[in-house]
Amino acid sequence: MEVSWLHLVPLLPLIGAAVCGLVGKWLPKGWVYAVALASVLLSFLVGLRAFLGLDEGVQLFHQLAFNWFSAGSLRVDMAFTFDRLSGALTLVVTGVGFLIHVYSVGYMDEDPGYWRYFAYLNLFIAAMLTLVLGDNLVAMFVGWEGVGLCSYLLIGFWFTDEEKASAGRKAFVVNRIGDFGFLIGIFILFTQLGTVSIAQINSAVIPLGVASLAALCLFIGATGKSAQIPLYIWLPDAMAGPTPVSALIHAATMVTAGVYMVARLSHLYVSAPGVMAAVAVVGTITAIWSALIATSQNDIKKVLAYSTVSQLGFMFIGVGVGAFFAGTLHLITHAFFKACLFLGAGAVIHGLHGEQDLPRMGGLRKYMPSTRTTFLIATIAITGILPLSGFFSKDEILAQALHTRAFSFLTLTPSGSMRLTWLGPLIYAVGSFVAFLTSFYMWRCYFLAFSGEYRGPETVHPHESPPVMTVPLWILAGLSVVGLLLGLPPSWVHGTALEHWTWEHFTEGVFARPRGDAPGEFSPALGFGIALLVGWLGWAGSYALYFKRGLLGDEMLSARLGPVRRALANKLYVDELYDRVIVRPLWALARGLWRVVDATLIDGLFVNGIPALIAWVSAMARRFQNGDVQRYAAVTALGVAALLYVFLVRS
Amino acid sequence: MAEAILFYLFAAGVLVAGAQVIFRRNPIYGALSLVGCFFFLSGVYVLLGAHLIAILQVLVYAGAVMVLFVFVIMLLNLKDEELGEQRITAWKGIGLAAVMVAAGVIAWRALGPAFPQGALVQAGRRVDNALLVAGFGGVKAVGRTLYLASILPFEVTSLLLLVAVVAAVVVAKGKI
Amino acid sequence: MDFFHAHQAQHYLVLGALLFALGAAGVVLRRNAIIVLMSIELMLNAVNLTFLAFARFPLVPNSPMGSFLSGHAAVFFVIATAAAEAAVGLAIIIAVFRSRTSVNVDEFDTLKL
Repeated sequence: MEVSWLHLVPLLPLIGAAVCGLVGKWLPKGWVYAVALASVLLSFLVGLRAFLGLDEGVQLFHQLAFNWFSAGSLRVDMAFTFDRLSGALTLVVTGVGFLIHVYSVGYMDEDPGYWRYFAYLNLFIAAMLTLVLGDNLVAMFVGWEGVGLCSYLLIGFWFTDEEKASAGRKAFVVNRIGDFGFLIGIFILFTQLGTVSIAQINSAVIPLGVASLAALCLFIGATGKSAQIPLYIWLPDAMAGPTPVSALIHAATMVTAGVYMVARLSHLYVSAPGVMAAVAVVGTITAIWSALIATSQNDIKKVLAYSTVSQLGFMFIGVGVGAFFAGTLHLITHAFFKACLFLGAGAVIHGLHGEQDLPRMGGLRKYMPSTRTTFLIATIAITGILPLSGFFSKDEILAQALHTRAFSFLTLTPSGSMRLTWLGPLIYAVGSFVAFLTSFYMWRCYFLAFSGEYRGPETVHPHESPPVMTVPLWILAGLSVVGLLLGLPPSWVHGTALEHWTWEHFTEGVFARPRGDAPGEFSPALGFGIALLVGWLGWAGSYALYFKRGLLGDEMLSARLGPVRRALANKLYVDELYDRVIVRPLWALARGLWRVVDATLIDGLFVNGIPALIAWVSAMARRFQNGDVQRYAAVTALGVAALLYVFLVRS
Repeated sequence: MAEAILFYLFAAGVLVAGAQVIFRRNPIYGALSLVGCFFFLSGVYVLLGAHLIAILQVLVYAGAVMVLFVFVIMLLNLKDEELGEQRITAWKGIGLAAVMVAAGVIAWRALGPAFPQGALVQAGRRVDNALLVAGFGGVKAVGRTLYLASILPFEVTSLLLLVAVVAAVVVAKGKI
Repeated sequence: MDFFHAHQAQHYLVLGALLFALGAAGVVLRRNAIIVLMSIELMLNAVNLTFLAFARFPLVPNSPMGSFLSGHAAVFFVIATAAAEAAVGLAIIIAVFRSRTSVNVDEFDTLKL
């Protein structure tokens, strides 16, 4: 259904960003806060009204805001589509975004650059909404780039610190590499299908080769934006930015853009089952890789960062095996509890006046009850020891992986020797191990921070955060609990009123079905049993090591697995590897190009050479004008003779 | 016949006087030679039937312009030694050669076969002035041409003369 | 072969050519600026002679504009213009003479690169 107010959703935060950015420096603080918060809140309300308008009759709202450009047969409009998937995402982005804005009022209160912060934050919301609501790939790419830009601006927010500034730059550069893949994907789709409209791509019949190549290229973009192997390296470094930024961008919204993109183009991906398998495999490897690293990190934000990477891996497993609804469901629940975790970490850091190191925390439950409780709830949600939202979403993904038929007709070799039917169960096994690790490191994080006794210096007095920061924490914790409704298995709620609340039911018809037979119905009891088991095992291991003993648990592990733990603590040396293999050769190449090509060739030949040539020529030419009038007269006479010859003799 | 004799007489006068202009060292002699050249030229004009122009030549050219020249020469009052020697350079030789070539080309073309030999020869007989415009070269005919066909150049020329007067005064004044 | 009977156009044209050559030679060869100006006057007079020759012996007899003596009109303008130009030229020579006390054209060479 065509509407005319949909553009307000991304436009309002954009206006807020403009106001805060351009005049925010000279406005009173309260006004800046008001503008920033109001724009996001209004955007949320418009989205809510639209969302409530979606029902059986109206499947989607569409608005063509304006024609951006037309070139040849390419016509790119700024158009927005609000259907069930993008609508839900819109609410998540604006809702969680609003809560984080409120939290930021407290967190950034003493920072002199607060107006810049809110401008960037609003700009980010606007860009993310453009990405989510974009009707065609180019509009989505505008949002894609926009969130990358805002990520750079916000990570390097305290740009006077060299390290933070270079973290921002690293994020942007790595994102850019992914964006290149994304662009190639767009180009392939346009040249082969003649359109960049998502709706048209989803309804077209795409040949296998084209689909595979395009899907792969787009997925490369997703690895950059959603921090999968090999381009995840920017996300841990991105913790240099303010914690609310980490919560919003690197937990709840921006990093989920890759997952969203795959889900949006589900029809394209089911046309390329090989790429789907690759997506699932990459997700799995990323999940276990970063989960292992997370067990040995001492910075609370780094733990959460690697946890995010791992959970994103889960989401990609979900969409890779063809369970698009499961992957996107985990996206939504993860937004809730990860934002809560990050904001809680931010409250801890704020209360400890900047301390981020877990070894120097401890016993904070006595000083920060609100933070502790919400953090506890969110940890339960993510680890799944109780059936809160995270439990259902994670478990659903693994169940779908186990029973998927999407790989049943894929083979390892072209000649068709080995069918990949074992891939699903393998992913399930690895994923369950990752769930165990997740539980282990998250509980380690909780116990080290909140249990035991305070290990920090005497001069720091931990205190609770102001209500402006704790209220969003409670709301997000509540959402982490309530979100379980979204993930309830259909067999449990069939026939009841709750059926309409489940995400699977809600998004029926939005996603494509993968090829192969429909996956078998998963016996909930068995699956839940295993999931609970691994979750509790992780909790138990963490409890034994860290609850009472605190840091001793780390020492015990190091005693047993010393070199392993050291490698994990050093992030498995990935950054160093990239530096050696990629960064340094590029630097050398750039230096060489600069010295040889730029300085010698271009400067010498063109910048200096051409003026020298001109000077030489003009020195020659100068001799014609020496002021001797009679010579001029003689030359004129020559000219007259020539002219007369031409006119009279050769006419 | 008489016209032929008169023509060669006047032509010789023109050329000799003209040569004097460019060969004499003292500019006064050159100016006076030029005056003589103008007189002879006026005679040639009469032979061509351009009576008004001939009179104007004497009145304006010889009578006004050359007077101006003589005034200026006398004003400058150059002594003999200031006049300087003639220098011969390669460029001057090139220029001279070019000039001679140019003149030769014109002459050759004028004498060439494609040029109508003595126009207005009909049936072997020369056409005399009577078949030309009535009052050819007279005040009335020329005036008619000036005021009817070329009125715009006429007016512009008057403006030009005004500008020249002002310019000459301004440039030549010592202090404005 | 009645070449030596005058009153044919080519006599006047050849005379004009020779006169023009004299004037041009004067411009090229002489150093004195006033002589140069007078040589220019010679050239202009050669042009006048050519105009009048063609007016008297038109290439196209009985042309439609034949009643207009455009050749004479042109000479009229040439005389006027030459007068103006001579006046201004002489004024310039006076001005230059005032600052340099010389009227030799090869000493006026400051207008160079």
